[in-house]
Amino acid sequence: MGDIWNGLVQALKLIVHLDPYVMKITLFTLFVCGIATCIGMLLGIPIGSALAIYRFRGRKLLVTLVNAGMGLPPVVVGLFVYLFLKRRGPLGFLSWLYTPKAIIFAEIVLAMPLIAGITMAALQNQNPKIRMQAKSLGAGEARSILTLLRETRLSLVAAVIAGFGGIISEVGAAMMVGGNLTLNNQPYTRTLTTATVLEVSRGDSQMAIALGIILLTITVLLVWVLTLIQQGTLLSQPARVARTLLRGRGREAKA
Amino acid sequence: MTPFIKIEGLQHSYDGRRILDVDRLEIREGEMLAVVGPNGSGKSTLLRIINLLEKPTNGEITFWDGSRLSEMDRGEKKKLALQMAMIFQEPLLFKRSVRANIGYGLKVRGTDRDEVEKRVEVMLERLDLAELADRDAMTLSGGEAQKVTLGRAMVLEPRLLLMDEPLASLDTPTRKVLRKDIARLVREMGVTAVYVSHDYQEVLEIADRLALIFDGRVLQEGRPSEVFSHPNSEVVAQFLGAENLLDGEVLDCREGLARVLVRGVELQAPCELPPGSAAKVLIHAEDITIVTDSARRSSARNSLPARITNVSVMGALDKIELDCGFRLVAYVTLASARELGLEAGMEVTAVIKAASIHIM
Repeated sequence: MGDIWNGLVQALKLIVHLDPYVMKITLFTLFVCGIATCIGMLLGIPIGSALAIYRFRGRKLLVTLVNAGMGLPPVVVGLFVYLFLKRRGPLGFLSWLYTPKAIIFAEIVLAMPLIAGITMAALQNQNPKIRMQAKSLGAGEARSILTLLRETRLSLVAAVIAGFGGIISEVGAAMMVGGNLTLNNQPYTRTLTTATVLEVSRGDSQMAIALGIILLTITVLLVWVLTLIQQGTLLSQPARVARTLLRGRGREAKA
Repeated sequence: MTPFIKIEGLQHSYDGRRILDVDRLEIREGEMLAVVGPNGSGKSTLLRIINLLEKPTNGEITFWDGSRLSEMDRGEKKKLALQMAMIFQEPLLFKRSVRANIGYGLKVRGTDRDEVEKRVEVMLERLDLAELADRDAMTLSGGEAQKVTLGRAMVLEPRLLLMDEPLASLDTPTRKVLRKDIARLVREMGVTAVYVSHDYQEVLEIADRLALIFDGRVLQEGRPSEVFSHPNSEVVAQFLGAENLLDGEVLDCREGLARVLVRGVELQAPCELPPGSAAKVLIHAEDITIVTDSARRSSARNSLPARITNVSVMGALDKIELDCGFRLVAYVTLASARELGLEAGMEVTAVIKAASIHIM
């Protein structure tokens, strides 16, 4: 029990004092996962939308792939990305292996199917007539899809939460293609998860607990913020207040 | 007058099944045309084709600006479609405020923001929706929601308004109110409208013309009263809820007045069919008068001795079932039924004016 307590106290000290090593790893993790999630969204939402809306040859196969991709073991993704990126691999010329780019690449492969799959399911749950209605009111093809996506924004946020949550908490792929390296004594491809694994194996439970707490806090905070967005209280409340104020002013001006 | 929209030889198949086969159908400028038929008769498909949302397998549509469906490219279709608006059975509102819903069409058409706001405001007033303007559209009642849908379509000031069973999912009182709103707005704004419904009673009041569609074919077209009193086929008559539709045989025909034999009973009615031909005889239940005093025969040509087999109340009317050699149903007001003391088993006379008997 004492170990855990000591660990907790030391961990909080590391966090409160903004320990540079801990901060670097944290920022690096946020950076990598943030970019991977963004690119995963840019790819996943259009792919999910297309699969939900259009009927084309090979669609069934793609749907199966996306669905399978939602449950991919990170270790296997890591292995494949490693095989692609290693010096003799098809993408070896990029020299990305054991760099942050490799981690981002692997995390995109993990996040994209999650986002595409949830987007697809959400859009398929919508009344397809909504899009027809939008079109009959004059919306073009792209606009009608955007309208439909907006109707499902709750699920889209859920898709992003799932994507981000999935990759910030995985360790297998990041370890395999990033290597958990330091460069000139500075963490280089070390993420919160890979670092935690290392500290535990080293027996440094204080550091491991500190990293664990940070990981947990980030996850909870982000999910909380996204949930607020999803439930419409974070974005719409200020907007509503602003609208009311503006309208009130307009009326006064008229009066 | 050249028609606003002319449909010729329109055929549409889906998965090898013929859904539409419309030889000819015209929509006149400024009118409200009701397209009525049972579910699955192809009405909605017809609307979607007119709205250019679906491409027919065959056929030609000529629009008000002279453009023809077969000669239009994508850009022209889009331009034309922008002059139409469509309302569906479900409100299909977007998860936004009422105001944003009504403004949607204008916004996606790139209308200037101030202009959008102004026109939305006018429409809110017109439909008496101002109080609901900032409500989330998802929280509206069925009637309110459909009213917003109407506003969302009409704010675009379309040349043609297409309505696909707009009242079908509402309860009767709401339906009545909204039907009036639709009729008022369409008239006031001078919009040509096509109203699709499976219930002809819903449109009798507001439609200028009626087109009855069955299995993808337009069977009859005309003013509602005309179609209702002179259905041109058995299918139409049955669909319109005719109680007395009988099989008969034309005996002879003199000066447009024929003697028709129905189950051994002779009826006289205006008729154009040649003697000896089989005929369908339609008698509207409201057009039958029941007389208890056989001496007081009227000038009507058809006075049939009959026995009452059953009396049942149907709202403000009594439904009297008669046996006069064949089954005949008559509607009599409650008051006169009481006055005459009509009850099952009574011997009476059913009087029908020749002009009220419709032979086809």
